[in-house]
Amino acid sequence: MGENVLLVDDSSTMRKIVGRSLRQAGLDFDNIFEAADGVEALEVLESESVDIVLSDINMPNMDGISFLREKSTRDGIKDIPVFMISTETGDDIIGEAKSLGAIGAMKKPFTPDKVNEVLGPLM
Amino acid sequence: MEIQDKMIEATKEIFSSMVMMEVSVNKIMEEHGPLTDTITGMIGLAGTHKGILAVHFPYSVAMAITSSFLMMDVEEVNEDVHDAVGEIANMLGGNVKTILSEKGRDIDLSLPSTISGSQYNFQSDKQVEKVIIEFGTGNGTFMVEMDLET
Repeated sequence: MGENVLLVDDSSTMRKIVGRSLRQAGLDFDNIFEAADGVEALEVLESESVDIVLSDINMPNMDGISFLREKSTRDGIKDIPVFMISTETGDDIIGEAKSLGAIGAMKKPFTPDKVNEVLGPLM
Repeated sequence: MEIQDKMIEATKEIFSSMVMMEVSVNKIMEEHGPLTDTITGMIGLAGTHKGILAVHFPYSVAMAITSSFLMMDVEEVNEDVHDAVGEIANMLGGNVKTILSEKGRDIDLSLPSTISGSQYNFQSDKQVEKVIIEFGTGNGTFMVEMDLET
């Protein structure tokens, strides 16, 4: 697809599974970058070419909501789309994420079919 | 839906969709004894409901689950096993929060943490209501425990 994706999750297991699910769903990327929290994610976005970010919400150091808020203030990266993948899918939290620019959300756990259904049209 | 039923449903969903393993309920308990050669993943709940959600895996089961989760051989209780067990607790905690809080802002979840050892007790010094569910896998049993302050 000629695109680069950034996976943001404090669990290395979950980053591996999301990456695997993307491949199983037939969504291939040139590069899959990884970050363990919002701070690392901002560093990757400032230094690499990323087309879409898939981010957890509940993370140490800088959580997904704070990451969205900080990213929205940085001119060079604020328009890169972010999709939330989290156990946190309450209306208030997802509403806040969307108000800060998130383009959608998917609940953990998920299947590769769900990944394809939800993320396929975005990529 | 009773919280016990939701815990069962959530556990089965997590295992079938992400661990690629089918699990079944063996029994419901109110107490368990000391844990032996076990790894526990747990996540705290604070707000309108206070308590802890924990999963207790014997080492052999934890390694089998991590192996299936990551699709690679796992022969010791290493960082990958701790991370996988913590993430299972995290997903269960998120599901339980969804049951207890429709809007999502009246209960906060902690980050997941894990402990392991040859023998330890897992108990609260608060007055709690316990739900403990023992599940069976093809590789042994494990427990999902919910302790909510009363």
